[in-house]
Amino acid sequence: MTDPLLEVDGLTVDYLTDAADVRAVNQVSFTVDPGEFLAIVGESGCGKSTLLFAVAQLLSPPGEIVAGKVIFRGHDMVRLGRGELQSMRWRDYSIVMQSAMNALNPMKSIGAQFKDTLEAHGNVSKADIGRRSTEVMELVGIDPAHLHSYPHQLSGGMRQRAMIAMALLFTPQLVIMDEPTSALDVVAQQSLMTKIKDLQQNLGFAVIFVTHDMSVVHRYSDRVLVMYAGQIAEAARTEEVFERPLHPYTRGLMSAFPSVRGPRRELIGIPGSPPDLARPPTGCLFHPRCPDVMPACLGREPELYPVGDAEVRCLLYAEQARKAS
Amino acid sequence: MAEERNPRTSSDPAASSGSEPVLRAADLTKHFRLGGMFSKQVLHAVDDLNITIAEREIVALVGESGSGKSTVARLLARIYTPTRGEIYYRGRPLRSLRSRKDLLWYRGEVAIVLQDPFSAFHPVFPISHGVMRNLALHRPELSGPERRREAERVCETVGLGPKMLDRYPYEMSGGERQRIGFAQALAVRPKLILADEPVSMLDVSIRVGVLNMMAGLRDQEGVSLLYITHDLASARYVADRIVVMYAGHMVEEGPTETVLSSPKHPYTQLLLSAAAEPSEKEAEIAADSGEPPRVINPSEGCRFRWRCPYAIEKCEQVTPRPTPIGATQVACHVAVAEAERASNPASVS
Repeated sequence: MTDPLLEVDGLTVDYLTDAADVRAVNQVSFTVDPGEFLAIVGESGCGKSTLLFAVAQLLSPPGEIVAGKVIFRGHDMVRLGRGELQSMRWRDYSIVMQSAMNALNPMKSIGAQFKDTLEAHGNVSKADIGRRSTEVMELVGIDPAHLHSYPHQLSGGMRQRAMIAMALLFTPQLVIMDEPTSALDVVAQQSLMTKIKDLQQNLGFAVIFVTHDMSVVHRYSDRVLVMYAGQIAEAARTEEVFERPLHPYTRGLMSAFPSVRGPRRELIGIPGSPPDLARPPTGCLFHPRCPDVMPACLGREPELYPVGDAEVRCLLYAEQARKAS
Repeated sequence: MAEERNPRTSSDPAASSGSEPVLRAADLTKHFRLGGMFSKQVLHAVDDLNITIAEREIVALVGESGSGKSTVARLLARIYTPTRGEIYYRGRPLRSLRSRKDLLWYRGEVAIVLQDPFSAFHPVFPISHGVMRNLALHRPELSGPERRREAERVCETVGLGPKMLDRYPYEMSGGERQRIGFAQALAVRPKLILADEPVSMLDVSIRVGVLNMMAGLRDQEGVSLLYITHDLASARYVADRIVVMYAGHMVEEGPTETVLSSPKHPYTQLLLSAAAEPSEKEAEIAADSGEPPRVINPSEGCRFRWRCPYAIEKCEQVTPRPTPIGATQVACHVAVAEAERASNPASVS
């Protein structure tokens, strides 16, 4: 086994508001191996985007990392200074945001933005800039002629591709993606995902991919973290999760999707709505919506219990985990 | 879920002619002029669309962004007036509705639910405001306390407690707001609800609840629905019939199961291949970049031909018209020719 590329340990993020401190990410730990495709799923407000921002050291007030470590290639990024982070950003890890529309500079051509990025990390000649820009555009499947185009001249799918091209300028080891396909139509979504997976396999970078779409998770990821209310509800290899979802929330997520080809059956989804994190419920955070709720769930906070290779935060598995250990 | 239903269950006196559907649009067309006064750029949002919605029927209108599906909802709700073509509500042409009273009547019969539940409500009023106002406007015969009772009843119909009415929009989740959108529409006792992507902004765990509610409205309240979506799987889950649009044209139409089990139009096939199943790992994925269609001053011919793997010469010259193949209608030269060959192998031209 190689050392993990990224190691997140006990990461906790609070949003400090006047009324109450909201714990958006609560004691999250995970690792990413080189070349691995890790998916983080959960519904809106579960803290998945905050987690990404915390990992990338992009949180701004009122969000604050109050505990935990983010160790990337041997450095604890939480403790690094601005300058050190700046030299690592984009060269060692890069980020593709949900909406490329808002992430690209509308006043500059795509090529000029690539040039800025390349120049920010060292002296590169004009010829090198042109060569590398053309290369990455070809990688993501856009005609390099579009280097002269402005973001508004590109379609949504092409803008997202341009964003990904920019993220690959230095061939980083880690690319963080925050729902890069959710603003696109189904067909464009599929084609972009296939491209991302191809690139990932050919160039060997690791991906942390945030989404709420279980079908994307299943098709493309190696491992999944299911998040609920700022905590990891379940962490396992993708096949395992789909063969044998352990947490009642994961099971709910899986059965919330109608199928296009399978038998037509009534779906239930997950009744209720996610908890207000300023006033979290007692015990297990999922108990108000849980179909398998037990009396103990109201009082006792579940830990992450190991079940085989997987980990699950549910009291149903507490006994089993205790016996195994 | 999609069995044959008795088409005449309503006792509405407005239902005049015998077999007339609730709503029928004939050659519905909407063009928008772009640019300045002398600009010749015309955006063809919807062209020659024929669509019917029967009693107690959920029709899904499916297509990607820019296909004109939201324009259709606005045309049917009479927010836009059509450039050409006519909409008949129970046989009565909408062009004949001129007075405020007529329009109010129509808005009471056909209600619309908007896509974004976060911007559809007035932030400073409790959500009872919209529901009560609809009741005051469309059902003036109700007294104050009756209105309140009726508002509570529609709230319960959509699965919310009566206490919800006194809440403000910011106190509610997206799913709750979307239900209030439906409650507001239901308050006027519509015969038809036009729902423009009602679940696309909602979380997956809540989506199914809203879809089930829509099916319940059809089954219990006898409401017809036009369900506009880009998600084939959810269309299949609730809809009796499906209409696929591409670049302002209807490309395929028919009973949901028939269309999805054997799609005839290459665009429907593409959509279906892109719709991933959570349960299947590998599926063959069409090499299509998903570029949106061009509909500004479009020339004659099939609008899908640039993306179509089967395009023939005829596709560039003649715009395909919807042609019946079995229970479905398909606007595709290749599919129609193939169907003809299959049914009549002797007369190959």
